[in-house]
Amino acid sequence: MKTNRMATQLKESTPIDDRVLDAMIGKTRPRIEHAMKLLRRPQARVGVTSSPLGRLLIAESDRGLAAIHFLFMDGAERTLAMLRKKFDLIENEASARRIGAEIDRVFEGDFSAMAHPVDLSLVESDFQRRAYASLRKVPPGAVITYHGLAATVGQPDSQRAIGNTMASNPIPIFVPCHRVIRSDGTIGNYGGGVDNKIKLLRAEGFEVGRDLRLPSRAVMGHRRTGIFCRPGCSAARRADPTKMLIFADAKCAGHAGLRACKLCKPA
Amino acid sequence: MAGSRLASNAANRLQTNGIGATRLNSRTGSSGVIDIVMARAYEIELPPPFEEAVKSMEREIMRFLMRSTGDREDAMDLFQETWLRAYRAYPTLQSEDGLRPWIFRIASNLCRNRARDRMRRGRVIANETADGAAPAANAPNHLNDGPEGALHLKRAIARLPGKQGQALMMRKFAGLEYTEIATALNCSAESARASVYQALKKLRLDE
Repeated sequence: MKTNRMATQLKESTPIDDRVLDAMIGKTRPRIEHAMKLLRRPQARVGVTSSPLGRLLIAESDRGLAAIHFLFMDGAERTLAMLRKKFDLIENEASARRIGAEIDRVFEGDFSAMAHPVDLSLVESDFQRRAYASLRKVPPGAVITYHGLAATVGQPDSQRAIGNTMASNPIPIFVPCHRVIRSDGTIGNYGGGVDNKIKLLRAEGFEVGRDLRLPSRAVMGHRRTGIFCRPGCSAARRADPTKMLIFADAKCAGHAGLRACKLCKPA
Repeated sequence: MAGSRLASNAANRLQTNGIGATRLNSRTGSSGVIDIVMARAYEIELPPPFEEAVKSMEREIMRFLMRSTGDREDAMDLFQETWLRAYRAYPTLQSEDGLRPWIFRIASNLCRNRARDRMRRGRVIANETADGAAPAANAPNHLNDGPEGALHLKRAIARLPGKQGQALMMRKFAGLEYTEIATALNCSAESARASVYQALKKLRLDE
């Protein structure tokens, strides 16, 4: 028999009617739906928006912001792949635009937008989760050193790990990894480009100079005692450096509820 | 159903408020570089949601499973399993183009697992015993268009080695390309073509 004839016969010999198939598919559907309830990943709305920091890819789940990616940097595909593992992605420009508007507000001086809830589903390790959580407690107008942040997580020698954690921050801007600087007072690096780190710090009141150092008006605030000093103050030198936050100026420290040191009188 | 192009909308907006473009330009001062950077940013595509992507393949998969198992209940079980496995693994699928062979691969793996389980338990496939009422010796020795010929053919396909049978079904019933079958069966396209050829040859000898 010719192959072609056989092929046709194969198709026609025991036809399975589409209606039979549809009925079978219909029967399995409730079972699939039931099983899917357990399996289904949460949804995340993904969109692109423009911002003063360049164009951003933004993903938001029902629990909060899940990811932000600076589109001028490489690796958007990687971010999407990571998101797909945890979420079912749906396109939603409106959601991204809303977040974009919040970032605009930050640049107009309204930092309440930074309190937007975040969804740290993309973060795998407990250490990183804790690091991001304590970083969120550093208020706008203040910065912390890698070393200091490591201490708040309970591992004061793990500043390198903190550096890696900041580099892999899935939600920059809202998990404020731009507020982490080096212990020598230079501002260090940023996953979205040093220029953007400077832009963000400036928006929050830090006038970063050309030498990429913090302004001379910056004061050291002690989180435990609630006192802020000039950087050279003897009291500040004696204090545990891991408990210190650095504020842009005395006013910022005052806003955060700290009082001026009586020795160096920074205010 | 095609992946949605996120960036085109954003590009339109960019022209209206122009924030990103102008700032970037002013900072780097090299518009040529910016053009490349921007062009790359526009290429982000979101894969379609799983349900949307596989919707059109439901019948094909069910037909394939029905042909492979020859049993309605089994086909429905495997259909559910195929669906759930595909959903779970969907994020690992790199490109939407590979979706069809990929899902057929899941289905055919499940069929193979099922066949192996059956063999281990030493159980006879239910359908075979039902068909076995008409002994093979009495079957017509040529394929004709009647129901007997169909039954004969069905049995002949069931007797084929696993890979050949599946390749034949994917090619002749589901209409997959050889490259797609190759992906589904984890072999080369040539091997897929050979399997189909061998299967057809055996069927001809069976006649």
